[in-house]
Amino acid sequence: MNFFITILEQGLIYGILALGVYITYKILDFPDLTVDGSFPLGAAVTAALITRGMDPYLTLPIAFLAGVLAGICTGLIHVKGKVRDLLSGIIMMTALWSINLYIAGTSNVPLFSQETIFKNDRIEGLIPKALSPYTTLILIFLLTIVCKVILDLYLKTKSGFLLRAVGDNAVLVTSLAKDQGNVKILGLAIANGLVSLAGCVFAQEERVFEISSGTGAIVIGLASVIIGTSLFRKVTLLKATSAVLIGSVIYKACVAIALRSFEPQAMKLITAVLFLIILLISMERKKKVKADA
Amino acid sequence: MKKKLMAGLLVTAMTAVMAAGCGSGSSESGGEDGYTIGISQFAEHGSLDNCREGFLAGLEAEGIVEGENLTVDYQNAASDMGTTGQISDSFVSSGVDLICAIATPSAQSAYNAAMDTDIPVVYTAVTDTEAAELTDADGMPVGNVTGTSDKLPIEEQLKMMREILPDAKTLGIMYTTSEANSVSAIEEYEALAGDYGFELVTTGISTTADVALAADDLLSKVDCITNLTDNTVVASLPTILEKANEQKVPVFGSEIEQVKIGCLAAEGIDYIALGEQTGKMAAQILKGEKEASEMASEVITEPGFYVNTKVAENLGITIPEALISSAVENFDEITAE
Amino acid sequence: MLELKGISKYYNPGTINEMCLFKGFDLTIEKGEFLSVVGSNGSGKTSMLNIICGSIPAESGQILMGGRDITKEKEFKRNAKIGRVYQNPAMGTCPSMTILENMSLADNKGKLYGLGRGTNKARIDFYREQLSWLGLGLEDKLDVKVGALSGGQRQAMALLMSTMTPIEFLILDEHTAALDPKTADLIMELTDRIVREKKLTTIMVTHNLRYAVEYGDRLIMMHEGTVILDKKGEEKQAVSVEEVLTLFNEISIECGN
Repeated sequence: MNFFITILEQGLIYGILALGVYITYKILDFPDLTVDGSFPLGAAVTAALITRGMDPYLTLPIAFLAGVLAGICTGLIHVKGKVRDLLSGIIMMTALWSINLYIAGTSNVPLFSQETIFKNDRIEGLIPKALSPYTTLILIFLLTIVCKVILDLYLKTKSGFLLRAVGDNAVLVTSLAKDQGNVKILGLAIANGLVSLAGCVFAQEERVFEISSGTGAIVIGLASVIIGTSLFRKVTLLKATSAVLIGSVIYKACVAIALRSFEPQAMKLITAVLFLIILLISMERKKKVKADA
Repeated sequence: MKKKLMAGLLVTAMTAVMAAGCGSGSSESGGEDGYTIGISQFAEHGSLDNCREGFLAGLEAEGIVEGENLTVDYQNAASDMGTTGQISDSFVSSGVDLICAIATPSAQSAYNAAMDTDIPVVYTAVTDTEAAELTDADGMPVGNVTGTSDKLPIEEQLKMMREILPDAKTLGIMYTTSEANSVSAIEEYEALAGDYGFELVTTGISTTADVALAADDLLSKVDCITNLTDNTVVASLPTILEKANEQKVPVFGSEIEQVKIGCLAAEGIDYIALGEQTGKMAAQILKGEKEASEMASEVITEPGFYVNTKVAENLGITIPEALISSAVENFDEITAE
Repeated sequence: MLELKGISKYYNPGTINEMCLFKGFDLTIEKGEFLSVVGSNGSGKTSMLNIICGSIPAESGQILMGGRDITKEKEFKRNAKIGRVYQNPAMGTCPSMTILENMSLADNKGKLYGLGRGTNKARIDFYREQLSWLGLGLEDKLDVKVGALSGGQRQAMALLMSTMTPIEFLILDEHTAALDPKTADLIMELTDRIVREKKLTTIMVTHNLRYAVEYGDRLIMMHEGTVILDKKGEEKQAVSVEEVLTLFNEISIECGN
């Protein structure tokens, strides 16, 4: 049972990150590598604030805003500096490594003795005793769902329409007398805000900030988005955002299986193979759909 | 419809595999008189592997033998923080009798996961236990967690270097800015170097790719170099040694392996010994003799002096006889890695 | 009124491949005029449209829209008063969004794209009416993604979307070229109806000489960056396809086409 709880907890935290990657990769069509820096950015901001005694719940919006700033920077480099999308992300990711070290003060900040969103007097009073072992999962679930619902609602607003349009057909956005560059910056800001928020939650769940926690974050995010959207491509009742969250949980489950069943050296290989199998299965299905039509 | 079915099937299949994995995990947990421990190691790394080897040897010395009355579930996170968390949680959920965590991130993660349970955590290869919030300022545990630190015997190292190189003025150290252990060691070096008449020059790097450039820069400024237990730097040690040898700049190590491959000497840690010491602590906890929460975190009892006379000969340095004879181990050849 | 004054445009300036397209090009389009532009490949038709819209800069000269100098204005700002339909039907719509969402997007042009609901329920009947006016049955497919529509249906939507809000100029960039002849005829009829009904000042670039002759109240033919034929009013009404074709063949032979 606990095994599944761990997968759900981890999967849902990284699910928030995957929602951000969904915006850049699927909606904006922008391979944004900033993620490897903005994930630990959220964690660094959180560690710096919590150790200075800030209310842990306040770190959530602040970490989000920090990510928004990082996204805006990537956007400005790309749009105003006319640097290629991939490079803009790499530049910000590299810069954030140092920035994160400055913010946190050091590369590893433990939060064991601090209050976190999961562990404080208020939350213990709020959650019934019978459910207390599941406090972390319940909170992560609620947070992730809130992020997902807000994102869904946002994508239905006029601004959200414009965001979807810019990745789909940037020319149309210009035709609508809107600067497509600004819309891209907006999308990158929201995406990295979410990624940073995921870093914030992760740091509080693991109760430590570690600079290396962002390494490979983009891979996890991309894998989650691709697994989710390709597996559930034809399940029309399921929104893409929900599919992405499920994709993230599946990815973490793959890691768990690889961990349990094989030699440690083989772990990344097994994860890669599982990832590939899922992709191949979903592609196989796509072909069949075409043949049917 | 067919597609929904397939997606459903896939999820079911994966759930089944997970359940199987889970089942095999929990069935391992001990019988009447057997112990089950989980070893969570942060990365694939020579020193950390030595720690694990030593840890099991230490348990064995206390009569807890793998395969007889001990089941070991060893997992390696391949340097990924998320995976480290998953490993810790899986140990807690399968109810192991003790978690052995090797390296700082694993220790922090294991402590975090086991905090609300009665599973003790024994760590090793954590350099600064206080900064990692695993001990208080007096070295006493913050919870049901204890272990050993691989904190470098910096004072001894400085003393030894001064003895071998009486005329050296500047001492260089290369370290990775993202490794907390290195950063705290640098702080200590900064505080102590002056006492031994050294002027300290440090170079921070971010990745292995920076090593060659940083080494050239550092070598142009210093009379000798010393190493920390910095993972990135140690991994690239052969590069640094080659460049240093060209310029006849002596490089000191921080553990036995480094001396073996060409560092001049080290007042250092033997990670196998450190692991053994940790294993013995774990044995006391498993047998119920002591609670982890009442055991102070330990450092290596006696740093060993290691020297490589072949390197000394190459560099034209004469090492005092008294020092050589005090060496725990004296190498007369350079072993290529 | 739209005026191009002394426009010069060079491609690859400063290199051995430097090519002068326009040198002191002048053109005035009166308010309410429906101008058809024909010409051989490389004659500067599309470049002219791009210069008007700001998609490419001109080296010198002035562009005046209703007497206002817009030469320095960015493309997206100019588009506030301009509607443009491209040759490629995919350029005027968003394939992954539904018909309703596309219509709503276009309906909001010129206003703030804020956090209000993307689709306004009160406008749905209006969209239906507009779509039914196309006669393609799209009014019953509001929730269908535009990517699932045919090229002709998409182009009809693009036409509708680009003229939905009050604009001063409609730019048609070979907008029937990628369609089959029957669909092209349909789109051309729709275009004419919209232009007449909304009294739009229109510039239509086309390769179809018949459309150029049949529709619009002014016809110009371009060749190597200059206007070599300009007929308006009664003169335009008297022009025959054969006449234009003869002239067109002459310049084409000259170019080696």
